[in-house]
Amino acid sequence: MTLDQIILQLLTSLQLGAVFVLVALGLTLIFGTLGIANFAHGALYLIGAYVGLVISNSIGWPWALVIVPAILFLVGIIFDRVLLQFFYKRDVTDQILVTFGLALMVQETMRWIFGGTTQSFDVPRWARRRINLGDYIPGAESIYYPPSRLIMIGVAILAVVALFALLRYTKFGLMVRAGMRDPEMVRYLGIDSTRLFTIVVGLGAMFAGLAAVINGPVFGIDPGEGMLRLVPAFLVVVIGGMGSISGAVVAGLLLGFATTLTTASPFPQYSEVIVYFIAVVVLSIRPRGIFGMKGVG
Amino acid sequence: MANSNDKAKGNAKKGISRRNFLKGAAGVASAFAVGNQLGIGGIHNLARAQDYPALGNYPVTGDVVLGLNFPQTGPYSDEGADEFRAYQLAIKHLNGEGDGGMMNTMQPSALTGEGILGKKVTFVTGDTETNSAASRDSARRLIERDKAIMITGGSSSGVAIAVQGLCQEAKVLFMAALTHSNDTTGSDRKRYGFRYFFNTEMSGRALGGLLANEYGADRRAYHLTADYTWGWSQLRSMQEYTEQEGWTTENNILTPITTKDFSPQLTQVLNSDADTLVLNFYGQNMVDSLTQAVDFGMRERTVNGKDFQIVVPLYSRLMASGAKDNIEGIFGTMNWSYKLQDEGSQAFTNSFVEEYGTPPSQAAHTSYVQTLLYADACERAGTFYPPEVIRALEDHSVAGVGPGVCDYRGSDHQAFHDVLVVKGKPESARDDDNDLLEIVDQVDKSVLVYEDGAVDLPDRPGDLGPYGDEA
Repeated sequence: MTLDQIILQLLTSLQLGAVFVLVALGLTLIFGTLGIANFAHGALYLIGAYVGLVISNSIGWPWALVIVPAILFLVGIIFDRVLLQFFYKRDVTDQILVTFGLALMVQETMRWIFGGTTQSFDVPRWARRRINLGDYIPGAESIYYPPSRLIMIGVAILAVVALFALLRYTKFGLMVRAGMRDPEMVRYLGIDSTRLFTIVVGLGAMFAGLAAVINGPVFGIDPGEGMLRLVPAFLVVVIGGMGSISGAVVAGLLLGFATTLTTASPFPQYSEVIVYFIAVVVLSIRPRGIFGMKGVG
Repeated sequence: MANSNDKAKGNAKKGISRRNFLKGAAGVASAFAVGNQLGIGGIHNLARAQDYPALGNYPVTGDVVLGLNFPQTGPYSDEGADEFRAYQLAIKHLNGEGDGGMMNTMQPSALTGEGILGKKVTFVTGDTETNSAASRDSARRLIERDKAIMITGGSSSGVAIAVQGLCQEAKVLFMAALTHSNDTTGSDRKRYGFRYFFNTEMSGRALGGLLANEYGADRRAYHLTADYTWGWSQLRSMQEYTEQEGWTTENNILTPITTKDFSPQLTQVLNSDADTLVLNFYGQNMVDSLTQAVDFGMRERTVNGKDFQIVVPLYSRLMASGAKDNIEGIFGTMNWSYKLQDEGSQAFTNSFVEEYGTPPSQAAHTSYVQTLLYADACERAGTFYPPEVIRALEDHSVAGVGPGVCDYRGSDHQAFHDVLVVKGKPESARDDDNDLLEIVDQVDKSVLVYEDGAVDLPDRPGDLGPYGDEA
């Protein structure tokens, strides 16, 4: 195997992993803090994608990258205040039913507004222009890689670092982490957990929006896209450990590499099945997931 | 003259008045006139029309309901949207509205512009979701709840095979729209299913030699293939007809139809010795895979001293429109193009443009033609009774629906007609936004006809099954 081939394989694995991680981040953040398996996360992704489509095709994709996460943060807050807060203490079945029902409503509303066909993002020429990474990597010769996919990797890394920093080095992060460990104690300490939870849902939605705008140029958008992204995101969260940010990152990368390596194997047709196989193996050995905490999930 | 007088006298003796004689003569003349329209079998069938037992959704009470089962969601939904436009136009023309389109060019034709057999044509719709199970569910709904007398539509061979199996059981005709797998009229053929669209065998025959001429006989092809009946069939045909020309197959990767990111597969192509990529994809899969292949620099690639080439065996204008400039110089095949200059194609294109402001796709053309052919068969059979309509379609030849004459082979229900080899146009050569593909060759149907059974899977020879009226 040449250096070019190794780098290409590595980049593709990282990019696939980035897709898995970006969608899963918000999901695991909400679960870790509120203990709610948010089946409407795909719907938040879908709203982000369609808002991103409109912005991208009118004023440009870079603007969508900035505006959509902000809009989705607000959408998340509204979602929490209007609906989710009433289900914090309800049975898990109720939580699943209400979030899943909302997801279906959003999906059909988007179909009604935008139609059922796949729509493409207008990506700027510079993002589509092919660049030869071989010109920048010593020893490599010819590795053409689209900038839009490099941006995917870059944004995923930035998002993960920013979330870690927020949770690790801010007072808000400290409260969230405390809430993840022991929500009851946080309430006894007089912290306004309602406000905290609302912001967390907003952040979760913001990550869904960011993932949607980043993925848009590659995947396009149709009303089924939200559900399509939700299933692998749940797998990432479960494999990584429910509520664990580090777990989501590790599991996302694991699935990205597994998919690419299976495609390169003599059995490429199993490249989509491999993620489910990994989930079965991991959960059989470690039911809480790789980084799962005791009492969570 | 004397004889006439004698006959007149004789008639008078039997009490036949001049008035009654004229009425009788008018009746006979009318019968002959109808006979000319319907053919001798038509009169025979007209006489028998009331005698047929109930079968499927026969008899038709009230308006004629056609079940339009097309993808409204999923990767082939663009084609589905155009199919729906064409069906509405066909129904409009059958009901005598609009300019009549291809009804003016189809020969022979028993269509009257007064619905089908004098009954107004209406429709109900279902969403196949480009999914076999969903398409069967929606077809079942159209048959059982809406009492559709005929089901038509679909943009996938998996869907077509699933739906025509159901239609065979339900004894309701299925006039397939977009289905290109050999199996639809090969191993999975059904008595109640008819296909106007061409198949992968014809694409292979049309494309194999041309690719060798253009790119040379010493090529290593990497195939990426949609993992369902059509993809497998396309792969077999392309392998057969390119390897006949001296090409070798480096590898093939099967991918699910839901795939949107082809980067893992394209990475393997880039990491191989292949100098040609064959994309056995259709619809959005083709748009995504081609766009991403170009994004990965494959058009600039050189392997073993040869320029890297991409081939898209099954093209459509809607796909080309989605893939934009990435289609430039890429060869493929098509069933039909709005650019064709024959009378039937132009009549349809003009009607479609008048109605919708945009030229029709091949999906629209096939849907329109299938609707008209079904209606014509009912008129010729003189009944909606499915076995008689099937017999009217089998071994029927028709002109004026596209280039040349189209023959519906009775033994497998596959239509044979000329097909097109096309190439993506560069932006500078386009007349307008729709002018994306250049017709390189119109392949005569004589080159495309294969022996019945030749494309059946070795372990599964096709069998049409019963008409449903056997004793």
